[in-house]
Amino acid sequence: MTQVAVFARSTWLQYVALFQWATPLGYFAYKVVLPVTQIVFFVQLGVFATGPGNALYFALGNSLQLTANAGIFGVIATVSNERQYGTLPLLLASPANRLVTFMSRSFVNVLDGIVSVIFGLVVTALLYGLDLRTANLLLLGLCIVIISLTTAGLGLLFGSLGLVMRDSIIIANVVYYGLLILCGVNFPVARLPLVLQAVAYALPLTRGVEAARQAVRGADIGQVAGLLAGELLVGAIYAGLGYTLFRVLEGWARRGGLQEAY
Amino acid sequence: MRALMRAAWSAFEMSLRLRVVNPWTYLNWLVFPVIFAATGLFMLSSSGIDRVAYGVLGGGIIGFWSVAYLDGGNAIQDERWQGTLEQIFAVPAPLLVIVIGKIVSSVLLGLLAFIPTVALAYFGFHAVLPALDPLRFAVSLGVLTFSFFIISVALTPLFAVWRWAFTVLNGLELAVYGLCGFMFPVSQLPGWLQPVSYVLSPTWATRALYASASPSPNAGIAGWWLVALGLSVAYLALSVLLYRYVDVRARVTGELALA
Repeated sequence: MTQVAVFARSTWLQYVALFQWATPLGYFAYKVVLPVTQIVFFVQLGVFATGPGNALYFALGNSLQLTANAGIFGVIATVSNERQYGTLPLLLASPANRLVTFMSRSFVNVLDGIVSVIFGLVVTALLYGLDLRTANLLLLGLCIVIISLTTAGLGLLFGSLGLVMRDSIIIANVVYYGLLILCGVNFPVARLPLVLQAVAYALPLTRGVEAARQAVRGADIGQVAGLLAGELLVGAIYAGLGYTLFRVLEGWARRGGLQEAY
Repeated sequence: MRALMRAAWSAFEMSLRLRVVNPWTYLNWLVFPVIFAATGLFMLSSSGIDRVAYGVLGGGIIGFWSVAYLDGGNAIQDERWQGTLEQIFAVPAPLLVIVIGKIVSSVLLGLLAFIPTVALAYFGFHAVLPALDPLRFAVSLGVLTFSFFIISVALTPLFAVWRWAFTVLNGLELAVYGLCGFMFPVSQLPGWLQPVSYVLSPTWATRALYASASPSPNAGIAGWWLVALGLSVAYLALSVLLYRYVDVRARVTGELALA
């Protein structure tokens, strides 16, 4: 019970702290205006490149990628903020279970990511006429949950760097926008050079976005099971690596007194 | 006048030194432009030589804008967080002079953003701008630089008095890319949105920049330069009023550090 309470309290406080910089208007701009403008910008770019017939392809891809806003930015920021505001030594000195602390850093962002994608799909339906009547909604929902989990896994890996690195939020920017190129969000992965295709399939989102596109077309779970299993595996590997790195860097930060180095 | 020049130069020099060691600057002039150029080139490379220019130059314009305006805004936020914003308001040199020094440094660094995108296009996609008119291109780039400079100078006082201004404008970042036609023509936008684009000076400067790199000749380019310059002058005039208001407000409320 104590562990559950630590988890719940830690999760809530992290979400509140994540937006300490924002006024309600700033929060609105970040969580509503930015996602809408991302969808509209890339749809217009895509339409300019390939014609109006493909608008839904770009809108759907960008709606799904919105989960990375929480999964990458949110998770990485939770660690880097601790450092920036001088609370990292307290966190590392606390007796709280490391795994609980670590997982709570991603949990609230997974929920936030799911909400972001649903919001993106609503925007896509309103602006670009996404028709979900023939979609396999349960499967689409499963895809959204899975990609939110897996991107948070990647976020945990890079978030660990915040233990020893001052500007880890810069990495969040690179990873977030890198996913736009590599993960089949704005054009098929097959258009990438072979080396980058290999990178794409080693990242979360790639298989999940592909599965979600098929779910929108009405596919059943048997048709996308392989993609979703691969997506989960990739996410689990990143989360596992992230936890290992967190423990390794925690030790390093203690030895070098890096928690307060700024 | 000499004292003001010296104050602006000192702000420029200090700001440039800080930027050179700041990783965010490299994110904005090196990484972002490459990411947007790569996305644009992958999407546009199959749709004709005219459109490839939007990938080659688009990433550079985005990087340029990000450094010029976002770094400028951040410079004021950083002063606030480091507790030096009050001193800047209290010194005898006007805020405008200090801001001009800071923004000149960000604009100069921002111009570097075209180097990685042109290199990526050439080495990664074998894409070039075969119809580049060097004279028109240089003038268009100068007009674009001037328009970015003026907008950055004009918006900075907002960041000083309202902390939310930066986060809100940051949220509108991709909207600005679209409204100003950084990576696709404004004509792609819905008709009701296009008038908003037309009152933004970068829209006209960007249009001229693309026209100067396009194989199809365009007679209207000089007019677009003039519109961009005219709008920039109008922003500058409005910003003088804004600077006066901000200067008084900061002293009356005493809330600079808390804003």
